Amino acid sequence: MDLLAERLDEVLIREVLTAGLSRGGDFAELYAEHKRGRALRLEDRRVEELTSSLDLGAGIRVIRGGRTAYAYTNVLDRESLLEAARVAAAGAQGEATRSVDDLTRPDRRVDHPVRIDPFEADKEDLVALAVRADEAARDVSGDVRQVIVTYLDGTTDVLIANSEGRLVDDHRTRTRLATQVVAARDDVIQTGFEGPGASAGHEMFDSHRPEDVARAAARQAVAMLDSRPAPSGEMPVVLWRGDGGVLFHEACGHGLEADIVAKEASVYAGRRGERIGSDLLSGVDDATVQNGWGSYAFDDEGTPAQRTILFDEGILVDYLSDHRSSRKLDLPVTGNGRRQSYAHVPIPRMTNSYIVSGDADPDEVIASLDRGVLCKGLGGGQVNPATGDFVFGMTEAYLVEGGEIRHAVRGANLVGNGPETLRRIDAVGTDFAQRQGICGKDGQGVPVAFGTPTLRIARITVGGTA
Amino acid sequence: MSGAELADLAHRVVDRASGDEEVEAFALRKVETEVEALRGEVDALSSAETRGVGVRVILDGRQGYASTAMVTDEALATALDEARSNAAVATPDEANVLPDPQTPPDVGDLTRPGFLDVPVDRKIQLALDLERAATAADPRVRGVDMAKYGDAYVEVALVSTRGVESAAARTDAWAFVLPLASQDDETQTGMGLTIGRAPGELDVDGAGREGAERAVRLLGATKPTSRKAAVVFDPHATAAFLGVLARALSAEAVLKGRSLFADRLGDHVAGEALTLVDDGLRPDGPATAPWDAEGVPHQTTVVIEHGVLRSLLHNTWTAHRSGDSTRSTGNASRGSFKSSPGVAPTNLHLSPGDADPSRILADAGDAVYVQEVVGLHSGANPISGDFSVGVTGLAVRGGELAEPFREATVASTIVEVLRSITAVGSDLRFFPFGGALGGSTVLVSEMAVSGR
Repeated sequence: MDLLAERLDEVLIREVLTAGLSRGGDFAELYAEHKRGRALRLEDRRVEELTSSLDLGAGIRVIRGGRTAYAYTNVLDRESLLEAARVAAAGAQGEATRSVDDLTRPDRRVDHPVRIDPFEADKEDLVALAVRADEAARDVSGDVRQVIVTYLDGTTDVLIANSEGRLVDDHRTRTRLATQVVAARDDVIQTGFEGPGASAGHEMFDSHRPEDVARAAARQAVAMLDSRPAPSGEMPVVLWRGDGGVLFHEACGHGLEADIVAKEASVYAGRRGERIGSDLLSGVDDATVQNGWGSYAFDDEGTPAQRTILFDEGILVDYLSDHRSSRKLDLPVTGNGRRQSYAHVPIPRMTNSYIVSGDADPDEVIASLDRGVLCKGLGGGQVNPATGDFVFGMTEAYLVEGGEIRHAVRGANLVGNGPETLRRIDAVGTDFAQRQGICGKDGQGVPVAFGTPTLRIARITVGGTA
Repeated sequence: MSGAELADLAHRVVDRASGDEEVEAFALRKVETEVEALRGEVDALSSAETRGVGVRVILDGRQGYASTAMVTDEALATALDEARSNAAVATPDEANVLPDPQTPPDVGDLTRPGFLDVPVDRKIQLALDLERAATAADPRVRGVDMAKYGDAYVEVALVSTRGVESAAARTDAWAFVLPLASQDDETQTGMGLTIGRAPGELDVDGAGREGAERAVRLLGATKPTSRKAAVVFDPHATAAFLGVLARALSAEAVLKGRSLFADRLGDHVAGEALTLVDDGLRPDGPATAPWDAEGVPHQTTVVIEHGVLRSLLHNTWTAHRSGDSTRSTGNASRGSFKSSPGVAPTNLHLSPGDADPSRILADAGDAVYVQEVVGLHSGANPISGDFSVGVTGLAVRGGELAEPFREATVASTIVEVLRSITAVGSDLRFFPFGGALGGSTVLVSEMAVSGR
């Protein structure tokens, strides 16, 4: 925090915000950031690259009506900040009418304590982590051909202030280890991926040992070598705990982001209070999950993190909003204004979004399938938020017949519609698991987690080749 | 901050090098503005100033990298220490070397005086003028999807313990528009673009008219019939295709087993009419600079000569990996000071032929004229060479442009497309994306066109 506090005292912050309002803006905001990080890539048993970075910068946003102007600089002296504020102000093209309110700090509702600061680990330790993962993956099977291990860590200090009087500072830590494994036998090549991360330090590796992460990725790749072409047609599908979360995130979550709702480009627009899903479905977005990969104490507009109920027993409860979209829709802000960095404007984003556990025994859910597909891994998908239609590739899936898992299947998609799929959820397991990833929207990537218990969807189209 | 101060930043890193270690510092400063107009108002404006230093250290073949956006002495020293300790844990690779200094070629002054003093209100006006030009060009243009003005001032300095000492600066301005043309229930778009070194060099009226014309002429488009046909690519479409080709022509892609051109040097990979040149020195090229991201002089590289693959695009690492006789072609590139040098084209273009576009259309007789390619990223695979992309454009009948079409695809393999190019137009034009690509009108003798 010292670095930002040193450069930005309250007098300067007020000056910058005042300059931001000087051409008729309704709202001015300053976001400053100091980020340190490391990235290591081990490929082909070689440490190909270890990069350290230090980034520092600030962005000034000015809003007038529906117009936004944004200027940023990574030269954090008074003159550069004021110049950026004046440039952002120019977008408003009017006369000053507003002044800056007194700056006050909102209550901090959650913390994400870090036990082992990632920078306490020296670089040999990082290489050792990656090597442990590499070797464990190769030990799984002689069919493992290639292992790529990526380690990432970072700390970010932020300072956020706006003309409505908000002043927030926060310190954020993130650590992640990802393993990608390529397995091959004869002409068949398959891949597996596992990539846990947390808003935490190296204590993350107590619960996610690098060997376990790598083995999980290798097992996926190897299991799929024995796969056969997938069946086609409508059938029941069980989404194994964890990966179903990506479907919830993409096919439903994005449609609940208030900027898309405000543009009326979402199938969920204007439907708060309506029954959308099965009454077994309760889903939330929760930035307060302690040490969650998508968690924070304050969002990137300085709003305290919160838990937002999206679906309660099938009823659509809330959208995810930032400052701007909440004003447009006349809804409370939910603390979902996020940005990739000081070089980006905030937009509504998910944090940790998941479906809440139910009371079905997961083994019994699988045993209930007369003929269907058990999906343990979902890959890239495409969603039309306006209609809710989606297509997802299955990266790890099995044919189930008579309640028994038969064999792995490959080359299949899940084709469906968001609201329809939510309606067809007819079993929700007691188990819960989550995954971590980087979610892209409008060219900005932010860390998100998503998860589900084991779910059964009564009917969904499997687009296979058999 | 002047160029000399930027060089001083780089020196403050490199002067701390000790013993046998090789150190390179890349310092960058960028000032940029973008303005989007919508319905006669500013819809979004963004402006940025960034600077920073990237540090590369090589010791005993081990390479480490670090970057800093803070440029105090202390921060620069920390970055050097970080790069050193990153190198210490990296796997040795004898291809990790820094290039020796070479005399940079003269590319002239790539800056315009007063560029940084242009008021933002003037830039806003250009974006508004661009939108107006597009909507005024034709009554069927009902608005724009986007009308954007952008500019950037970039200066860089590169210093290394090998004696490299280079500095360069450039200014760029551009404006592009995507008008929406409507008739009945149908809407079409088309891109209009203008580029220059300064705002005053832009022709926003021309760009507005170009976008409008390209959008309007697609109105009434229907699905074409599926058939084999001669296909004419316009300069926009050709440039987009060259972007895919550039990925496969990177020596890094070849060395890592990700290119269809592996082991093809000296082979006939294209038709006799095709000569493909990467020229980082052309005065009219958006990627023009005296040297690349490692301080190696830009050069003119004949990549394909009358159909024969003569060279890949190299940086220093790929050149050393490829063997003793291979030298960097000056194609090292970095996205910013935060990343280590990769490989990218610099003004990659087809050597212009002598036929003007109307002559090529006349020769094509009955053909398909492609003005827009969709889905190149997923539809053209630079590893396998498979090629199937969505296209929109116009039919060619009796050598003249005729009715528009939409929802069509053209498919082939990349190699087959290259082999079937029988004419390259004289209308070379550069586009400022993907390392700067130069497109011209091109005739492909036959492709599978799918429609209804």
